Amino acid sequence: MLRFALRRATVTLATLLVVSLLAFLIPYLSGGDPARAVLRSRVSDNALDPAAVEALKADLGLDRPLLAQYVSWLGRVIGGDFGLSFTSRGPVSELLGNALGVSVTLAVVALGTAVLIAVPLGTLAATRHGSRLDHGITLVTQGFVAIPEYWLAPVLVLVFSRHLGWLPSAGWETPASLILPALTLTLRPLAYVLRITRAAMIDVLAAPYITAARSRGLGSRATLLRHGLRNGLLPVLTLSSVWFAGLLGGSVVIEVLFNIPGMGQLVYRGVVNQDIPVIQGGLLCVVALAIAISTLADLLGELINPTARVRHDAH
Amino acid sequence: MTLTERAAAPARLPAAGARFTLALRRVRGQRWPVLAGGAVFVAVVLVLLLTPWIAPFDPAAQDLTQRLAGPNAEHWLGTDHLGRDVLSRLMHGGRFSVTIAAITLLLSALVGTLVGAFSARVGGLVDEVLMRVVDLLIAIPDVVVALFLIAVLGTGHSTLIAALTIVGWTPFARLARGLALEINGRDFIEAAEALGCSRTFIVVRHVIPNAARPVTALGFLRFGHKLITVGGLSFIGLGVQPPDSDWGAMLLDAQPYMEQSTLLVLVPGLAIFVTALSVTLIGQGVEPRTDDRA
Repeated sequence: MLRFALRRATVTLATLLVVSLLAFLIPYLSGGDPARAVLRSRVSDNALDPAAVEALKADLGLDRPLLAQYVSWLGRVIGGDFGLSFTSRGPVSELLGNALGVSVTLAVVALGTAVLIAVPLGTLAATRHGSRLDHGITLVTQGFVAIPEYWLAPVLVLVFSRHLGWLPSAGWETPASLILPALTLTLRPLAYVLRITRAAMIDVLAAPYITAARSRGLGSRATLLRHGLRNGLLPVLTLSSVWFAGLLGGSVVIEVLFNIPGMGQLVYRGVVNQDIPVIQGGLLCVVALAIAISTLADLLGELINPTARVRHDAH
Repeated sequence: MTLTERAAAPARLPAAGARFTLALRRVRGQRWPVLAGGAVFVAVVLVLLLTPWIAPFDPAAQDLTQRLAGPNAEHWLGTDHLGRDVLSRLMHGGRFSVTIAAITLLLSALVGTLVGAFSARVGGLVDEVLMRVVDLLIAIPDVVVALFLIAVLGTGHSTLIAALTIVGWTPFARLARGLALEINGRDFIEAAEALGCSRTFIVVRHVIPNAARPVTALGFLRFGHKLITVGGLSFIGLGVQPPDSDWGAMLLDAQPYMEQSTLLVLVPGLAIFVTALSVTLIGQGVEPRTDDRA
């Protein structure tokens, strides 16, 4: 177990290092000169004084070897210092902190709704496996997966904001402004979580220990809750963790559409404005969070069901 | 299919066409969703292929006297804010959306299957590290990878394809590895090993052909997701660039005018929805539970 955990930690750290190297190299990979980029962001003038560029290079240590620059940059990043944004001139870590709070709220509401609806419905579909209800639920989830959220959102805005005037069409000021974006983001995770709940529960309900529990006279509801759900929920947990990470950093389109000041919009603005420190910080933050969430879900899964690790390895 | 049935199946499968009919014949339960999905998708592909000949107008031709017109005899789906024919734009735009999604999927399936099959074959530390990397990559949202690549390489079709492939191969690798482990335990592999076949030969001639059907099914099942992601990037202005335009870009153009012309917003979204749904239904029919395994 310890060896297993150590190996896993090594791969995780190595992945993070590679991503940090990629983030560090963004200004070089895009063929630009970081000193010129910084200076241009300050004076917004394309004809730069070569002497000023050289002075800034020496000042920022950009004339040192790349590896030395990377090491000192990484040191600052680990300490939480991502530098200053080119556009807002404020510290990137502050921007990241604010955006993260917003995105966590949105992701928790959207995913929470999805799981709360998907798990009971998926279990219901599994217990009536092959019935008309089951087919109907499956077909609806397939429909949900095929809906582009940047199409559903404008339609909902048109109906609920413009015509009915019930909900705000954009922004992040009131709790009501959470409803439309969360609703749009809920559908796809709902469909996927429902499908995996259904599949897992069909497997579990066919297992011998379910028959055994039933034959001992345990009622069908008690069997379902005590033996069924407990064993069937592991894949649901894994999938939900992937979706949580996905919603945290990947709701770019919806955050832009509804003008929500979250991670997705922050990274998007960074790319559009070529605000390199924001792109670097955003990328690292999203990736680190995704990795942390996936590792945490794995550990939690092993706590719930220790045999899963063995099964996973043998798979 | 039960294990005995699988074991009895021949090591090499019939030609692709015959294999597909076989797959369709094996469809369990309700067949109509698969047939409907197949029919719709074939129709969409035909229209997109024939677009240069059958599109009624030049998609870029503006007619400012006919801005935001409703459906009429001349413009079947009306015109947009620059008086361009919506039907023609829909047909031309679909070529970009569907092609980019399809290329991405082909590349992802190819890379993923190779990595997964070899990972299972080699085993040991290599396998463990590769699968851990897959676990981590799956957790990273593909839009973020796309944004990173756009920041580095700038916008463009190849950037889009590269970005979506970098994350997209991982589910295929996971599926192919699982299948390969299953196939590796079967008798004909042992026979091939006893005959002295090389590891590469076994993977290419025995493992991959036997994994082909579930992998194809996963390709169909992931198509809708790719189509939506490509459209999403275009919708925020980072995907297909003007003067070209795809369904996502059409939705972006339509945003400011949605109150004057609801149809302008509805049509491109419906196109994405119908295409994505039809392909998902095909995938669901080819191999019902593939998506849960990847």
